[in-house]
Amino acid sequence: MIKTPSDMKSYKERIRKALTDPFLRSALDKFNTQYRENRPRIYAGVDFEGIRDEIAAAKDDALPALMDLYESFKKHAEASGAKVHLVRDAEEANRTISEIARENGVKKIAKSKSMTAEEIFLNDHLIEAGYEVIETDLGEWIIQLRHEGPSHMVMPAIHLSRYQVGDLFGKVTGKKQDSENIDKLVKVARERLRPAFLTAGMGISGANFALADSGALGMVTNEGNMRLVTTLPSVHVALVGIEKLVPNLKSALRILKVLPRNATGQAITSYVTWIKGANESLSSFSHRKILHIVFLDNGRLAMAKDPIFSEALRCIRCGACANVCPIYSKVGEHRYGHVYIGAIGLILTLFYHGKESDRVIVQNCLNCQACKSVCPVDIDLPYLIKKTYRLVLDQENRKPVKNLLLSRILKNRKLFHFLLRRAYLAQKPFAAGDTVIRHLPHFFEKAHGFRSLPVIAKTPFRDRWKRIAPKAEASGKTVALFAGCAVDFIYPEQGESLFEILQKQNVGLEFPLDQTCCGLPAMMAAEEETSKELARQNIEAFADVKAEHILTLCASCASHLKHNYPKILGDSPEVKAFTDKIIDFSSYMINILKVIPEQFLPSGKKVAYHAPCHLCRGLGVHREPRELITVCGASYVPSKDEDVCCGFGGSYSVDFPEISSEILKKKLDNVEASGAEILVTDCPGCVLQLRGGMDKRGRGIEVKHLAELCAQSLKSSAT
Amino acid sequence: MTPSPMIQLMKEKAEAVQAVVFQIGDFKEAVTYTIDLTKRQNGRNIAAGGLSKDQEDALREACAQAHLTLLPFPLRPHANKIHTSLTLADWGIAETGTLVIDSTKEDIRIATMLAEIHVAVLPASRIKPDAEALEREIDGILKKDAPAYLAFITGASRTADIERVLAIGVHGPKELHILITG
Ligand code: SF4
Ligand code: SF4
Repeated sequence: MIKTPSDMKSYKERIRKALTDPFLRSALDKFNTQYRENRPRIYAGVDFEGIRDEIAAAKDDALPALMDLYESFKKHAEASGAKVHLVRDAEEANRTISEIARENGVKKIAKSKSMTAEEIFLNDHLIEAGYEVIETDLGEWIIQLRHEGPSHMVMPAIHLSRYQVGDLFGKVTGKKQDSENIDKLVKVARERLRPAFLTAGMGISGANFALADSGALGMVTNEGNMRLVTTLPSVHVALVGIEKLVPNLKSALRILKVLPRNATGQAITSYVTWIKGANESLSSFSHRKILHIVFLDNGRLAMAKDPIFSEALRCIRCGACANVCPIYSKVGEHRYGHVYIGAIGLILTLFYHGKESDRVIVQNCLNCQACKSVCPVDIDLPYLIKKTYRLVLDQENRKPVKNLLLSRILKNRKLFHFLLRRAYLAQKPFAAGDTVIRHLPHFFEKAHGFRSLPVIAKTPFRDRWKRIAPKAEASGKTVALFAGCAVDFIYPEQGESLFEILQKQNVGLEFPLDQTCCGLPAMMAAEEETSKELARQNIEAFADVKAEHILTLCASCASHLKHNYPKILGDSPEVKAFTDKIIDFSSYMINILKVIPEQFLPSGKKVAYHAPCHLCRGLGVHREPRELITVCGASYVPSKDEDVCCGFGGSYSVDFPEISSEILKKKLDNVEASGAEILVTDCPGCVLQLRGGMDKRGRGIEVKHLAELCAQSLKSSAT
Repeated sequence: MTPSPMIQLMKEKAEAVQAVVFQIGDFKEAVTYTIDLTKRQNGRNIAAGGLSKDQEDALREACAQAHLTLLPFPLRPHANKIHTSLTLADWGIAETGTLVIDSTKEDIRIATMLAEIHVAVLPASRIKPDAEALEREIDGILKKDAPAYLAFITGASRTADIERVLAIGVHGPKELHILITG
């Protein structure tokens, strides 16, 4: 049975082990890259977003009516000879299924892949009850032989190399296997498992769809074992999560358009099988199949009624949220989930397996949005992960010190800013007169030493503002700056660059001094009340501002302000007036100010670009920053994986430095390989991470905010 | 004769997933094809699934001449030794190169699942552009209050479970041949 650490220390140990496993690392890294690269080709000619929205809406319609769908399904399925059960929890499911086996005198059970069976640890239970259980899906068979759980929802043995499989099959067959010949290894499974299908008394499968208007099940598979499992033995038990109920064939076909594409990059799998009722079967006395369909609740019906978490029940188990996750691709397996793996696993684990198994893993998320961007049913996974973390904290009724501090300090802007100013003094001795700290004071763990850290600015932007604020109002456009903590207190020069640009462009700037932290760090720590309070304070701070736009230099702030504020505060006109104005730096420059190359002095410098997660995926801005690099006279050099996270994730990089540094390393390797002299990005958090890492490398590649690059080469306007 | 765009698409998409596709004249050619294929691979027998009485007779005669066994029904006792199966497909889905086969009869299931090589005959007139275009027909089968087993088959059985390397022929047929008639 899978064991997921419930304390951070043993979890970290596991992570460290994974990070030193060369096969796992390269296999998952390669998978992540190839998956992302293949996607556009796989979705060519398919309106992914359109279908995604339709499926999400259809699922949301179906969820409140699950019990009606169930009744309809049951009626039709039973009219055609099946027996339909609804079981409350894992215990009842296991009991029901072994009861069916006992009633029918079964000894041997052939299983095809089912995540729902994994969820309830069905195999363990059946084996304990004295049955022989044989997994027949190749990957599942391999991990069964190794006594492991699946390391991916679609590819359960992705953590194993051909050599490990070859050795294993060598032991199983008593014959040495040629590990290089994967075709032959596959044939070993074909030959060894054939007798299992033919001699098993019962087959167990899952299902991808349960069609309410006909009582048929739909199954999406590739190997062909599910077809044998459902055909050859006289008894077939289908274990189905109750959320798999859909109204009709039409809804299922719509999901079928994205499920194989998202899961395995296929337009359709080798087999899609629709099974209804007690089909002809010469293996049973009656010449009719004995079909039991067991619907599992296990908390789903309650979840379906939850205004926030019901969204998680849209999941169609495509596994893509793990495929693209930068953390999964570093640590893999159960270090990123319990039974269910990947972003959705961090959420579902709490509901299906309890807080002990989720309390640590749920904290391991960068909020990079990669999972959300590929989810074919539009689940806001990063948001739900934070919500789940909050539930864990509530259930434990005990909060980490970090949370207590966050809520105490952040809610009180004056106190918070006072402390930030004090921090400048506190870190002064470590900076040795420099703008960065290269050698961390000894009370930091060694793992944190992968980047140098910036010092808190002596004079924050808000103080400089008082000096530079234009006295007269500008004649034309006006924009308000939402600085965010990082620009205000760490990189005020980025704010000054913006000011310089706007002055040269004759654009007025406003800076409401009551603005405070956007609240994202509080949300990341599941401090919901605090993040709500901060959202309220900021909306108030900007309420009287006349500017047409609220510009941020921080992509994370922007995406939080724009997309999370309505979730936190509700979608009132006041909130909308605020969120509608939010714009990022490059969109403002390209789309509003419409800057052109003639306004800049070309530098010709080779510039690479890092796309902040919250800009490219959060705000959907892709073209503008790259265009701006070229417009402002630099030479943009593309680098690999520009839109993959840099590993910062706010306090994530402090909580999980081992993983953060690995993600950063790959990013910087890619930038170096591009031959760039300068690396720009448009988020101060990314600047912190990237500059800190580059500084440690000492190869002279400068890291800048895009605003700084622009300010340097912008000519004064003629007027 | 240049095939219609729909047949062309069906062929292209099926070939993209390693199916072998030919356009042939009539069922007799399918029999010859299946016998030749089986002999070439040193197969000893053929199983039929879903053929009409006449088609079955034609196949039986050809098997006898070629010294191949036409496996008798029910197929279950022979399940473990079927070399080639020859079946009729009910529909084709051009968009994905998919065959739709009503497999409610157990013999059809066994023939299409357990044979080493699966040959399916698909009348050109039964090719539809996409699965949505078959919704009514499929619903017609699934919505009767009677048992049903309906299969979409696209290419041969496959896996990528070892190092994500594609391997063909895991538990299902190792080859799929599609013969489009008419
Ligand atoms: S937000 Fe990023 S780090 Fe978090 S689960 Fe999703 S992909 Fe992984
Ligand atoms: S949450 Fe979305 S991406 Fe993840 S497995 Fe479920 S459907 Fe796929």
